[in-house]
This record gives sequence, C-alpha cells and structure tokens, in this order.
Amino acid sequence: MRLSFDPVAFDLVQGLATWLGVMVVLSIVAFITSLLISLATSGFSGPPQVVMHLFQAFIDLIGTSPRRCWAMTQLTFREAMRKKTMAVFALFALLFLFAGWFMSDVTADADLQVKTYVSFVLRAVSWLIPMMALLLSCWGLPEDIKARSLHTVVTKPVRRHEIVIGRVMGYIGISSLVLGVVSVVGWFWISRQLPDTMQKQMTARVPHYGSLSFISSEGKEEAQGINTGDENMYRSFIEGNTKARAIWTFTNIDPGKFSAAHPFVLESSFDAFRTYKGKIDRQLLCQYTLVNPKKNIRVTLNAFEINEYRRNTYDVVEKNPSLEDNETHKAVELKDLLADGELRVEAACRSSSQFLGMAKSDLFIRMPDRSFASSYFKCILNIFLMMVMVVVLGVAAGCFLKGPVATILSLVINGVGFFAYTFVHSLVTGEVDYHNPNVKFQGAGPFGALYRIVTHTTPGIAFEDTMFFKVINKLDEASLNVLWAVSKVFPNLEAFDTTEYTANAFDVPWDAGILPCLATTVGYCIPWLLVGYFSLSLRELESK
Amino acid sequence: MAQDIVIQTRNLTKIYRDFWGRKKVKALNSLSMEVKKGEVFGLLGPNGSGKTTTLKLLLGLLFPTEGEVTILGKPATDVTKNEHIGYLPEESYLYRFLNAEETLDFYGKLFDIPANVRRDRAKKLIERVGLTKARRRQLKEYSKGMTRRIGLAQALINEPDLILLDEPTSGLDPIGSRDMKDLIVELKKEGKTVVMCSHLLADVQDVCDRIAILEGGELKVFGKVQELLKDTGVTQIKTSRLTDAAVKDVRDVLARHGAQVMEVDHPTANLEELFIKTVRDSAAHPGQRFVPSDKS
Ligand SMILES: Nc1ncnc2c1ncn2[C@@H]1O[C@H](COP(=O)(O)OP(=O)(O)O)[C@@H](O)[C@H]1O
Ligand SMILES: [Mg+2]
Repeated sequence: MRLSFDPVAFDLVQGLATWLGVMVVLSIVAFITSLLISLATSGFSGPPQVVMHLFQAFIDLIGTSPRRCWAMTQLTFREAMRKKTMAVFALFALLFLFAGWFMSDVTADADLQVKTYVSFVLRAVSWLIPMMALLLSCWGLPEDIKARSLHTVVTKPVRRHEIVIGRVMGYIGISSLVLGVVSVVGWFWISRQLPDTMQKQMTARVPHYGSLSFISSEGKEEAQGINTGDENMYRSFIEGNTKARAIWTFTNIDPGKFSAAHPFVLESSFDAFRTYKGKIDRQLLCQYTLVNPKKNIRVTLNAFEINEYRRNTYDVVEKNPSLEDNETHKAVELKDLLADGELRVEAACRSSSQFLGMAKSDLFIRMPDRSFASSYFKCILNIFLMMVMVVVLGVAAGCFLKGPVATILSLVINGVGFFAYTFVHSLVTGEVDYHNPNVKFQGAGPFGALYRIVTHTTPGIAFEDTMFFKVINKLDEASLNVLWAVSKVFPNLEAFDTTEYTANAFDVPWDAGILPCLATTVGYCIPWLLVGYFSLSLRELESK
Repeated sequence: MAQDIVIQTRNLTKIYRDFWGRKKVKALNSLSMEVKKGEVFGLLGPNGSGKTTTLKLLLGLLFPTEGEVTILGKPATDVTKNEHIGYLPEESYLYRFLNAEETLDFYGKLFDIPANVRRDRAKKLIERVGLTKARRRQLKEYSKGMTRRIGLAQALINEPDLILLDEPTSGLDPIGSRDMKDLIVELKKEGKTVVMCSHLLADVQDVCDRIAILEGGELKVFGKVQELLKDTGVTQIKTSRLTDAAVKDVRDVLARHGAQVMEVDHPTANLEELFIKTVRDSAAHPGQRFVPSDKS
C-alpha cells in the first residue's frame, strides 16, 4: 500500500513558461511556413492573404455565437445517440466491469483486495472511455464531409471554429455521459464486492510529506543512503545500530489539525534488507527521534517492529504515554514539538547488521483522511481530462484527414503519450537511464550515436575535447532541441493515471495529481483547436 | 457596382486538381456574368458542364483557381453573406438521423433565429412543402422527392433574399415540380432573387427571366429567355376551333398577304398538364378510371 514514485508538486509558473515558449516558437514556424507556401502558390498576393486569414480568424472568434455552437453540440450528441454507437460502448464497458466478479480472492488481505478492485475498475475505465472518445471523434467530421452534409451546414452563417467547438463539446458530452454511468456503477460494484469488515480500508489517506536526507554510518551528512544492489535505486538504505539515520524534515505542519479524534500518526512503509536471517519470527526494529530544530527539543520514541511491505502506523501519543527531552529529561508535550510547524523525524534501524530502505514518500504525517469517494472521483476527473484531450485531438485530426487516417494518427499520438511518454522524453533529452534523470552522457543525440555506431565505441567512453567532437556535441544539442519540441506533440498521458493513489488508499493530491493534468489539458488542447480551425477553414469541403 | 446587381463573377475559372496538385478537369473557364436583383436566373447546360461548380464557387464551398466572385456585395468566402442566402444542394445533403422538424430547427439555430420564430417558420415551411404528415419521421426513411422537399424548406428557413437552387426539380414527381415552379414564381413576386440550374429545359423556360447556357465549362449563351426564344420570322395565331371551311378561308386570306402557312393543327395538351389534371381529379373523384379505347 505504498506508492512506487514520489509525488512531485506541479510548478504552474514553470509549466506556463515552457508552454508559452513552445507556443511562440510553433506559431512563428507556422507563420513563416504559411507565408512561404502562399508565396510559392499565389505569388506576391499570397502573404497579404495569409495576414487577411489571420485577421478573419480573429473576427470569427469575436463573433462566436453560443447558439450556433450549441446547435452543433446538440447535433453531435444526437448523432451519437441515434447511431447508437455509445450505447454499444456503454454496454461493453459495463460487461467488462463485471468480468471482475471472477477476481475476488477471500484469502487476500483487505488492503490488497481493495487495491485489486479499485485498480481494476479505474484501469478499465481509463482504457475504455478514451478509446470510445477516440473512435467517435475521429470519424465524425470526416464522415460529415464525405456525406457532404457539412456542405449544407457551411452555407449557413456558421463559423468554422463553431463547427469544431460544437463537435468537441458534443463528443465530450456523450463520452462524459458514458463515463458518468460507468464510474458510478464501478463505484457501487467496488463497495458491494467488499465485505463490511473491509469497508474501512476504502479511504483516502492524506499524507504530509517531508524532504529526505541521510546521515551515513560514520555520521556524515549524505543525500543518499547505501545502495544494496538495486540498479534503479529508488530506496536507499541505512545500517542497523550505527550512526546512520534517514532524516525527514517536515514544514508547514498545522498542529490544530490533530486531536483525540485525529491523533498524530507517522505512517511508514520501509523495505528491509537482511544480511543474515536473524530471528525468523521477529521483524526489524525501527526507532524515531522527533526533533524541533528551533526550540532544540529532541525526543527519542519507543522502537517498533516494522511490518514489511505493509503500512506501519505509529500513533505517537498512544505508543509513548509520556514524552521527555533526551538531554534535559523534562516532560515534553507533542504540541511543543509541533508548535513551529516544523518537525524533523530521524529514523534509525535498531537491528544490528540489518538494513532499512527508505524513500521520500515512505514516511509521512497522516493528516485526517478524506472519503474514498473523493479520491475515486478525482481519478475519474483525470480520466475525464484525458478524454477531453483525446476528443480535441481526434476532432482536429478529422478536420484535415479522412476517418481511418485520423484514427491511426490519434492512436499513435495517444498511445505514445499513454505508454511511452517517459521513454520518448528521455530519448529527446539525451538521458540514458530514464529512471534516473540525473544520468546524462555525451553522444546521446543522433550524431554522437551515429559516430559511436560507425566507430564501435561504447557509450562509456567519453568524447575527447577536440574540434570534431565539439561540433558533434553542438549538432546533437541542436537536433535534440528540435526533437524535444517535436516530442511535445505527445501528451503526457502517463501523468493522468492517478489510479495508484486511489488504489493504495491515498487521496489524489491537488498539486501533484490534478493540477498538472488540468494544465496539460488546457495547454495541449489550445494549439490543436487552432490546428483544427485553420485546416477546416482553409480547405475546400469537396471530398476527393 | 450598381445597387441592383446581386451576383457578379469575373473570369471565374475552376480547375479540379488531384491530391498531388495535378490538373484533372477544367470545370469552369473564365465565366463572367451578373445576376440582377429580383430576377429568376437560369443556369443551363448538359451534365458535367460546370453548373454545380459555379454555384459552389458562388457560395465559397470551392475556391476559384482564377477570377473572383462578389455576392450580395461581399466576397464568396465571407460567411456573413450566408445570412441572406438559401441554398438547395444538388442532392439534399442533410442529416439522415434527424426528422423534418429537427432539421429545420437545427438550421434555424445556425441562423441564430430565436426559438419561437424558428418553431413558427418550421411549421409553415413543412406545410408549404407538404410534409406535415411525415414531419416526425427520420430523413433516412424519406423518398428522394420527400428529401428534396425538406431540402427546399431548409433553404428557406432564414427567409433569404437570394436563393440558389441546384436542379430543384430533380427527383420530384410532376406535381412536386409544378409546386416547385409555382414556388419560384411566388418567391419572385416577393421580390427575391432566384438562381437555379437545370438541364430540364421546360422548367427553365417556364420560370426564368434570364438564362446562361454553359457547355464544357464555357459560357455559350447569355440573355433574356423571351428575347432568346422569340422567332421573329414566324407569327402564331390561336383561335377557338374552326370548321374546315373557315380554315380554307383563312388560308386564302393569308395567301393574299403573301404569307406561307406552315402548320394548321389541333394542339395536343402536354403530358405534364394531363398528369396533373388526372391526379388532381382522382383526388376529387376517387375510383374513376379513364382508359381511351384503341378505336378512337
Ligand atoms: N470534386 C470534383 N473533383 C474532380 N472533378 C470534379 C469534381 N466535381 C465536379 N468535377 C468535374 O467538373 C465538371 C463539372 O461538374 P459539375 O459542375 O458538377 O457539372 P454539372 O453540375 O453541370 O452537371 C465535370 O467534368 C465533373 O466531372
Ligand atoms: Mg450538377
């Protein structure tokens, strides 16, 4: 019941800056390209026409009529309803959900069962609904053009962008309807499936995370602990009964949130690494020391046995009926420790020659829980956002491509974004090991790689500092920048899968789980809507 | 430009190209013409002569390869011109999953017409095109002629000043096409401008004020129907039935004036009139049947 990653808060300002940068570069490139094309096709009257078109687009936008947009939306909605496409999908989705009947495993622990059910339902929904949205949206406009029903529409005073918006809204509406039904059914299914005893596992923990640093066995400060041989080293380890410590620093704690009803709980899930078997029935021992750095209070708490691969909840007050300062031995209240909103927790391993492995999100202060429903429907919200992106891309592609081609394009772009975003990102940023963004090496770009292939040099060998390699490095840098810009065609759909939070009984955090998806959706949809609008207004609607 | 010119084209040329930009067909070659306000203008020509292409260019559905179009004082690509235009496409390209009422409501919304006005107009138009009974049926169940009728209703939903009709009578039964022609005349009386294209000459002759004949994308004839058809070398006299003696006398008189009699005959009613009379009568006298015997 722990996460396999650190939730990273989304930096809105930084994201916005990157987005603006990409948008400016793209618009300039598009503008210059269209000027050149117009010059080549219509001579010197071309460029003024391009400017006129841009001006016209602006006028169109101002004259947007909600009634016309709504008419197009309604039409799209009706079309999908009457052609019964979505009914088939809804049925299919529901059937799929019920395949989960066969998953129940009475012997499994409650939290694992909840996890299985929740991830199954959410994963199924996050596959099926965007897929439905993709197929619907990629075929609508091309079919409309092919059947020439759009001919009659565009001879009315409807603006082309209103057609695009109407289509987008219509498909979002219809897919949301299906999403709503399927997710509510899924929710009831999960709660019906679990026996009453397990119901309390359906919750949404709200963790308060700190930052993590280490003290080595010799007592030196380190960024990392010991690596016990895992090449991807997400957790690093501290050795038992040495000076080694893992230190979490928590800030912005609100002491008012804790009371008898909501005790102060440290929740952890550490890995154990044993160098010898030890007592087989005994787990490793872990001990916390709470520190208020400003008041210089240090309180070492009673040690506890960790439960490997499980949540360890440590209720400080319950486990330590009285707290006292390590040096002055004066009684200390928990309130005093938390008073400044800042707290350090030093974790030590108390089993000699054994190791405890920890990562930043492995220890947190557990704030009062939220309801499971809120966490579940936040996941659904992200699936909705993903669906919006799929619809916008599909409609935009349909503005300039035929149905099958638009479908393939959408499948490729969304597929890469869904399954391989991190991989592609690592390729275009020249990272070798995409689990670890800090590892970069020379010659990761196309030119360096070509050189290495031709000369049979391994990536381990660094380039010499000669003119030749400098040129190669520059070329790599330039081409990687271009590739990086191009790779932004792929939306980061990996970020939209927040199932892991909900399935592990965590609340989906706003800053790391929802805000990035909202920002990505808005940022991704705007350029595609523009692409859709311009390609629909610049093309003849004659199907060829 | 003069106030009363609704459509003007200058050197309008359209070349269809394939995907690679290679030239396929020159569908229209340097067409220059204008349509005046309040007239019924006919665009004639055999199949594939470029009539539909011309209409599409006028509407901005196609972009001209060369030349320009001014329609209602605006360029063809300006969407705001569509506020005052009604267009009946060659085949009624409508949404087949909508019924007649929904269709008119949908297009009405695209004109930003408020709901109550839309409902009113839709009802009247459906009546006018004779689809009241079928107004709740989806268009996919309609016959060709019924689709044509709803297509016409859709073209009139905004009470347009300029109506473009592409083969308006194709697919209609004789009554339908008579209604269509009556309607065109009515529209003209209301002061609207109608441009229709057709290869059915009778239709054009009945209703059009001026025509243009296209062939192979080129304008061949352009002018007033009356003037184009008036044969000044011939005089026609119509009287009530004359006896053989009277015919002989008339011939004598004409011979004295040096005129040559080309034809004396009883006119045959045209089939259209017979058909319409029959269908209308059968509604009045159900069950009657008229079969001319072989002997007469
Ligand atoms: N979309 C198109 N692509 C290629 N050629 C076309 C297309 N539409 C029409 N044409 C050609 O243009 C010519 C004129 O067609 P059209 O204007 O439809 O004739 P009409 O309406 O007078 O029957 C024909 O030769 C036709 O084959
Ligand atoms: Mg035609």
